[in-house]
Amino acid sequence: MQHLTEEQLVAHYYHDADAVTAEAHLATCEECRAQLATLRSVLALIDQLPIPEKNGAYGEEVWTRLRWKLGSERRRSRVWGTISAIAAALALAFIGGMLWHAGTQQSSPAAVAAKNTPSPAAAAQTASNSSSVVSRDRLLLVVVSDHLDSSERILLELSNADAKHPLDITSESRRAGELVASNRIYRQTAARRGETRIASLLSDLEPVLLELSHAGSTLSPDEIASLQKRIDSKGLLFKVRVVSAQVNGQDGVTKAPPKGMDSL
Amino acid sequence: MTTDLAVVSRARSGDPEAFRMLVESHSRATFRVAYRMTGNEHDADDVVQETFLRAYRQLRHFEERADFGTWLHRIAVNCSLDLLRARSRADKQYGGDPESAELAGAAGARSEAQQDRLMISAELKTQVATAMKRLSASERTAFILRHFEGMPVEEIGKTLGIQVSATKHTIFRAVRKLRESLEPFVRSTPCNT
Repeated sequence: MQHLTEEQLVAHYYHDADAVTAEAHLATCEECRAQLATLRSVLALIDQLPIPEKNGAYGEEVWTRLRWKLGSERRRSRVWGTISAIAAALALAFIGGMLWHAGTQQSSPAAVAAKNTPSPAAAAQTASNSSSVVSRDRLLLVVVSDHLDSSERILLELSNADAKHPLDITSESRRAGELVASNRIYRQTAARRGETRIASLLSDLEPVLLELSHAGSTLSPDEIASLQKRIDSKGLLFKVRVVSAQVNGQDGVTKAPPKGMDSL
Repeated sequence: MTTDLAVVSRARSGDPEAFRMLVESHSRATFRVAYRMTGNEHDADDVVQETFLRAYRQLRHFEERADFGTWLHRIAVNCSLDLLRARSRADKQYGGDPESAELAGAAGARSEAQQDRLMISAELKTQVATAMKRLSASERTAFILRHFEGMPVEEIGKTLGIQVSATKHTIFRAVRKLRESLEPFVRSTPCNT
């Protein structure tokens, strides 16, 4: 008589084999029945492998640890939402500009006439240019405002961190890395446009973001203390809040384009 | 679960309180899956965290007709698998199995605390834990998914990225190793099949 192989017994145990054939053999073979019984006993031992019992407060503990990370996730998704909205606005502005440019080329005789004779059309065009500069100016304010908002949250988390224990900054470090690149662009743009206050603040902010982006996933208590000292000594959090409030204030009002703000 | 459906719906629309309720009600079940898969309490805690983080990111892809617990269960299995694979790579790189002694010790410690509730001795529990630890990452995963989770072989194959025949063989290898380790501890039982 050919006995069931070990593999067939395992497959039979898990109902992964031809049950009829195996059952027929087992009905007549005591040796295979004994093998199957041993297998069952071994696997029954595995079933009794203890699992540490977590008490009713475990869910709450998990949530407490998770909440901080989820906060970072939400903020990151909000930043990405804003970036997408800005990208969409830029795309629309670009397409609008192209259409406007094509329109002016098609009506070139009128444009020539307008150039030779000051007229309401020329005045409208000047107004349109001015409005375009204001729009770009607003765009800078919107992106800087959001940038400062994100930076402020990171600074706040660092300032409030307990410097006695290591701090998991995996998501903060990643966000800081994303902010470093945009910080550089906004700083240069603000400097070109003569927005010295914004440029100066972004210049102070950049080394902190850079350090954080290179810090890895965990900050040691010493590193936390050092960063907190830097943030405090420069009054960085306070400056961010003040400039952020001013930027938000400017963003809400239509104002004449500041000098030099034509190259964003 | 009707309750879950309503809460999931709120969580999907960005209500953090609803997500907190889901975390609190599913944490213990998720831990049990994670512990079986990883065999280590600390790793299981990490897997639970990672599972809920992934669930949060993927919440919008969750089909409300599906059962939230089952969906979460799959995420936990995948997170455990990722951890076991990473551990396996590290073991290959650095050699040895430095956690065995720690695990055995931990299992022994746990057994003392739970002695009155458990049917097997502390020594035997240690042997079971050690036997499970002897399995490779893929053997352990395939075995756990088949034995504890009752997952069909085809689906285990998909999860592990291997053919059905290879999956069956992996489960078989796992069972054989366990049998080799634990058969001496099994008292002979009468055949009753």
